[in-house]
Amino acid sequence: MRSLRIVVVACLLVMTLAVPALAKTELVLWYHSGKPEERAVLEYQVKTFNAMQDQVVIKAVEIPEGGYNEQVQAAALAGGLPDILDLDGPFIANYAWSGYLRPLDKYITPQLKKDLLPSIIAQGEYKGKIYALGTFDSGLAMWANKRYLKDVGARIPVSVDDAWTFTEFMEILRKLKAHPKVKYPLDFKINYGRGEWFSYGFLPIFQGFGADMIDRKTMLSAEGVLNGPEALAAAAWFQSLFAQGYADPNPPGDTEFIDGRAALSWVGHWVWQPYKQALGEDLILIPMPKFFRQATGMGSWAWAITSNCKYPDAAWQFLEFILRPEEIVRMTDANGAVPSRVSAARLSKAYQPGGPLNIFVQQLQKIAIPRPVTPAYPALTSYFAEAIDNIISGADVRKELDQAVKRINEEIKYMGLK
Amino acid sequence: MMRRRELVTQVSLFLPAFILLLVFMVTPFLMAIVLSFTNQRLIPGPVPTRFVGWQNYVMMLRDSQFWAGLKNNFVFVLVVVPLQSAFALALALLVNAKLRFTKFFRTLYFMPTVTTMVVVSVIWSFLYHPDGLVNRLLSSVSFGHWEAVDFLRNRSWAFPAIMFMSIWQGVGFQMLIFLAGLQEIPEFLYEAADVDGASPIRKFWHITLPGLRNTITFVLVSTTILAFRLFDQVMVMTAGGPQDATYTVMLHIYNTAFRRLNIGYASAMTIAFFLIVLAVSVAQRFVLWEEKEG
Amino acid sequence: MVNVINVCRRMKIRRVAGYTLLVIFGLFFLLPLLYMIASSLNPDEVSLLRNMSTPRAFIPSPVGIQNYIKVFNRMPFGRFMFNSVFIVSTTVLAGLLVNSMAAYSLARFSWRGRGTLVSFIVALMIIPFEAIAVPLLLLTNRFGWLNSYHVQIVPFIANPFYIYLFYQFFLKLPYALEEAALIDGAGWFGIYWRVALPLSKPVLSSVAILHFLTHWGSFLWPLMVTRGPEYRPLTVAMQVFFGGQYPRVWGEIMAFATMMTVPVLVLFAVLQGRFVASVARTGIK
Repeated sequence: MRSLRIVVVACLLVMTLAVPALAKTELVLWYHSGKPEERAVLEYQVKTFNAMQDQVVIKAVEIPEGGYNEQVQAAALAGGLPDILDLDGPFIANYAWSGYLRPLDKYITPQLKKDLLPSIIAQGEYKGKIYALGTFDSGLAMWANKRYLKDVGARIPVSVDDAWTFTEFMEILRKLKAHPKVKYPLDFKINYGRGEWFSYGFLPIFQGFGADMIDRKTMLSAEGVLNGPEALAAAAWFQSLFAQGYADPNPPGDTEFIDGRAALSWVGHWVWQPYKQALGEDLILIPMPKFFRQATGMGSWAWAITSNCKYPDAAWQFLEFILRPEEIVRMTDANGAVPSRVSAARLSKAYQPGGPLNIFVQQLQKIAIPRPVTPAYPALTSYFAEAIDNIISGADVRKELDQAVKRINEEIKYMGLK
Repeated sequence: MMRRRELVTQVSLFLPAFILLLVFMVTPFLMAIVLSFTNQRLIPGPVPTRFVGWQNYVMMLRDSQFWAGLKNNFVFVLVVVPLQSAFALALALLVNAKLRFTKFFRTLYFMPTVTTMVVVSVIWSFLYHPDGLVNRLLSSVSFGHWEAVDFLRNRSWAFPAIMFMSIWQGVGFQMLIFLAGLQEIPEFLYEAADVDGASPIRKFWHITLPGLRNTITFVLVSTTILAFRLFDQVMVMTAGGPQDATYTVMLHIYNTAFRRLNIGYASAMTIAFFLIVLAVSVAQRFVLWEEKEG
Repeated sequence: MVNVINVCRRMKIRRVAGYTLLVIFGLFFLLPLLYMIASSLNPDEVSLLRNMSTPRAFIPSPVGIQNYIKVFNRMPFGRFMFNSVFIVSTTVLAGLLVNSMAAYSLARFSWRGRGTLVSFIVALMIIPFEAIAVPLLLLTNRFGWLNSYHVQIVPFIANPFYIYLFYQFFLKLPYALEEAALIDGAGWFGIYWRVALPLSKPVLSSVAILHFLTHWGSFLWPLMVTRGPEYRPLTVAMQVFFGGQYPRVWGEIMAFATMMTVPVLVLFAVLQGRFVASVARTGIK
């Protein structure tokens, strides 16, 4: 009896001690060093959050994007993960599989879930649980120089459903190529180099032809999916664009489109500011063309709470804060990304219906496909990007895809997923 | 009889380096050997790490990228080491000639070596562009007969382009070592040859080369080891492409460990590659020593 | 008479040829670096790319230091420079001491097991750093060393290659002076410090330069072990701001590269005469 009382007293004591301790919960947050504007907003948000309440202090650390995954991996291995961190969408599954992330489901209210773009849920979900939420998503489409389109008499689509058909697209490319000022009609941003861009930017072409990186039903094999007839057709078409001079396999810098040497630029939302500055009113956004079906990429950096975190409730407070519509818009106004909540998109001048970038929101709601959510994604993307790189350089399409399939399947087997 | 205290000092001079090497080189290396027999991942997953026997080594036999990389490593060594050494010797002879301003030019030739490889690679990616300076230069030298080549995206040109750049970057250092060797050859040997009326070519074969024998051995052996480590250039300029034309074993190990997170397999390749390079150096030393005795 | 004129003419031709070659090779080595500097001074990316293959690439127009200002605005460049200089100089200085001491002990004394240790050192020379990077990361993490200066310094102090260079040098160093000091009753450490080291200036400077060059350019390791700008060196900083998906702005990259390279170039231009002399007297050959 007495001992029980001691226990109760002790518990009370611990609790009273723990409350003030909790009052100053310090949480470490890692974020990738994106654009300067993006960094500035996040720093501002951290400062605001720290000032507006007195229970949680967020300490933000910036990590180079060039080696972000390497650093997070090193930290995970070393048991030194922070409390909160942002992760590039397709890598979330790998970290969740490894058990480094906490599921967020208990914090996500039905209203919030309904308000979030379906693409945001899709990229953060692994085996039925949501592990990460982004404040913004990415948009992939084509930017066009209106003047050139007018010169060749191209139709300008007004919505996702109104997109160019395949034959229409090819016809426009042919005419643009003949335009005296255009050197290469289509800028594919090959200057970004072999890396995640190749998967993000060009997988939708394969999906447009009916192929994919991996069999989505089982997520265990790429056989027949990445080297089937649809994939071969997609790769051959893609390769012919470079071979026939429609696209530059090695653009010298990032200025092809700004310079007026390219008429269309196949790239994400993030170039909006510089493009707008260079082209002004001539800049328009064209939705992804309808190949055999319409597809686009999606996924961006998203926030996760690690299993290392001792105070997940406190960490969620911060995530909840940056997920508020007005904070989301603050971020997307700065970095040009697509707001992750429908209510936030409505607040944004660029993304609201009728806004210049609304096509991105439509695409994310209708035709976006997440990159395969599987722990093997790091290997998948590395082999896919390699194949794409070789295909651009003129390699044998079938050989490259067969090789990628073989390596992907071996990796899946080695990882014990099968 | 050596006094005990003396022995203690003598050994203790060696100890700091010994401990550091043991902790930071030998231990990690032994760990790598152990890891090479496991399926350890960079981020351990729900699949527990366990011993997999020789599985990783067997996998290597069927890994076409490993072999492509190894082949390139050998090509690089076989092409770059002799060319770079010969070029370095030529430069050393040139700046050792009795001309003015050689000190100034010597400094110029050494500058690329002082420049970090990552920086050098960035500059040359720019120069090698189809619209870049190298194509332009070749075109004007050939009076327009040269057709612009996308060096780094062309399967047959990419590796030679990287080899050329590597020689550009590294030759200055070997030049200095040869220069030092040349300055050690006694002047009277040349004077005696002059009296005999020997031609410059004869002097080169009969005085300079034999005098440089040790220097040549050093340059060949050390350049070979460094050449096997080829990584920074290919990482920055081509990522091993196009179609593995510039892939190297070090790059494969890096990709396996940090892109595909497979530490076990990366370790196995590391150990195998270490043994291969070790065998080559031992063979090389053996041959060069043989010659010295003969 | 005719013969003398012939010889003179031949000498002259040879000299002209010599100077021509010197200049051609000089341009060969210099132009890419000039190209870097010239591009860094062109603040207009579009004009930079347009002129990339013309001789005008070497005369930036417009000309300005905006690229440099942008680099400074985007990052604490001074901090990164300090980190690099501090890490590299500490490593090199400690390395000179530790490696030369070890080599001295190996070269001068005949304690048991010494011969085995020399072969052991030679074998270690072949292990490339990349091969041990991951286990080393696991290990230093055990020590709780991540994100610090010492994790970038301590593992790189002892180096088998430099020990070997010192070893070769000491083997050839005449023993007489040390013997005299020994007779005077000096201890071995005193002899090493006061007699042997001062005689080793040539090998010290060649090893210092080699060690400096390799550590200055190191990238993979600092990337894995640093977490914030506090301890980050220049190489990683370059990747932070120019790597990733963020498109490359050549003008700014070239400005960064120039600032990273020129100080070292100047330093070596000043020191190189001494370097050649030192290599000549070192065991490197």
